[in-house]
Amino acid sequence: MRTLLNGTAILVAMLWAISHAHGQKATEQYIPIGQSPGVSQKYSSIGEIADVNAAARTVTIADRGGPRTVRITDKTRIWLDRTKLKQTNLSGSFADLQKGRRVEVKYEDPARRDVADWVKVEVVQP
Amino acid sequence: MPREARFITPRRSRTPALPAMPLLGALAIAACISVPPDKPDPQAALVAKGRDIFFNETFNGNGRTCGTCHREDNNFTIDAVLIARLPKNDALFVAEFNPALAKNFENPRLMREFGLILENLDGFDDLANRFTMRGVPHVLGLRNSVASPQGPRTGWSGDGAPADGSLRAFAVGAVIQHFTLTLNRVAGVDFRLPTEDELDALEAFQLSLGRQADLQLPLALKGTVPKRGQEIFLDDRLGKCNICHRNAGANATLGGRDAGNANFDTGVETLPDQPARLTGELVPRDDGFGRPGDGTFNTPPLVEAADTGPFFHNNAIETIEGAVAFFNGQTFNNSPSGRFLASIDPNGIGIRLDGTQIVAIAAFLRVINALENIRQAIELLQQSEHLGFSAREEAKRLLRRAAAETGDAVDVLAGGGLHPEAVAELARARRLIERAARSSFARHDLAREAIQAQEKARAELIVEPK
Repeated sequence: MRTLLNGTAILVAMLWAISHAHGQKATEQYIPIGQSPGVSQKYSSIGEIADVNAAARTVTIADRGGPRTVRITDKTRIWLDRTKLKQTNLSGSFADLQKGRRVEVKYEDPARRDVADWVKVEVVQP
Repeated sequence: MPREARFITPRRSRTPALPAMPLLGALAIAACISVPPDKPDPQAALVAKGRDIFFNETFNGNGRTCGTCHREDNNFTIDAVLIARLPKNDALFVAEFNPALAKNFENPRLMREFGLILENLDGFDDLANRFTMRGVPHVLGLRNSVASPQGPRTGWSGDGAPADGSLRAFAVGAVIQHFTLTLNRVAGVDFRLPTEDELDALEAFQLSLGRQADLQLPLALKGTVPKRGQEIFLDDRLGKCNICHRNAGANATLGGRDAGNANFDTGVETLPDQPARLTGELVPRDDGFGRPGDGTFNTPPLVEAADTGPFFHNNAIETIEGAVAFFNGQTFNNSPSGRFLASIDPNGIGIRLDGTQIVAIAAFLRVINALENIRQAIELLQQSEHLGFSAREEAKRLLRRAAAETGDAVDVLAGGGLHPEAVAELARARRLIERAARSSFARHDLAREAIQAQEKARAELIVEPK
């Protein structure tokens, strides 16, 4: 019985390590900036890009709470929000993070707010 | 007894003589007037609003609603048998008649043959090659099957919802994936997104469906084989089912702790001879949770399993016996979950059952499914009893659902050769409910008689607490 309990304890640890239940990101691509339920304004910041540091792969967002610098990792999803143009949203890249563009950044860790989980970049001109 | 029922006797109502009609009409109206209006119940109103949205709201998309796939008359899911009965212009088949959705939106063959729906869980950048084909999970008992210590788990791999991953946000992803007019998926053009109020209502409605609590096993079952099936199910050294499906629900108890709804790699995706792949159609490997996936899928509740097949995320297995047998096979026992179970077994065995034991577990699952059918049918019948003449259409809807639940109980038990006396009683209950749905004046009496028949059937299955 002890073996079973030990084993299941290991399984618990294994499960918790591999399966953080977060939202599926695929359809997130098509949700316009500011409209992500339970996330927008709560676990994200919306504002203009004030600075881009390509070497450090960081962007600084000027949101209502002041400037905030976030790191863009290989796992960060970047999408081009073209809803205002009535065009389909596309996958983007770090190069699309340009000074002056309006973005929404969702943080990987809502408490630390230092790494971007995803970034939506508003595109208003074709 | 509802007040209006006192005014109308079964004899009068079943064969009303023509001259009596005005009198009966007046009595019915008087009865409706005499029922004092209930106090407004905000939660009930929210659920009702959610129901309306779930079944009628297309979100300016291609015509589909949530109810297109989650059919109320089919346990909030779909299967090939139901699909075969739908008209060609049903919104489910939108890929067959909307040219903008003809390619890369659905696979009509796999939908019609196996009830499979196309999902772009790993992104929309390569629509022709990167997708998964999944069955439609029912949405019953969600109150007990979504929560986990790591956050809510929705959909087959626990990551079905965008945004915060909640059941509330699930509808947003569903609209984008399944309701769109074109593959551009532009909000405000191809669909509109649900409002915050609509999301609240949809969530409330979905949480109101089915069981509101898990069972507490063991049950005092009467049937010899189902009783043995329950023992095997609960035996952590034999069936081992209760480790991941605590109380036949969707939550796990691991290491003595409540792990909530959990994900496991049981190897289903590597099953040989998967029906959809036998067709030769492109069915990419489904990598489960995450992007890229980790191969895990989340645990569905078992109470509702027997009447909601086919089984597993890919509808790979048609029967409940087959689904139980899967855990006895090489695919499961060679999977990470099977190997883990073997690693903690004193004899190094994952799951090893014989034919009679597989059938016994399935018999147990059939009986608890039938008990849930009976519980729901009685609840619906009781709800219908509270509705007066003016709400007869709503009463009919409830009665139709009660009839469907009762029919499911008949099928589930009869399909396993179980409890023939209960099956006979349930068949009688179903006839009574169908008559009640057709009757304008004897509805309450027939519903009450049907409840008695349901209770009699239940007493065949289980020792009721005194």
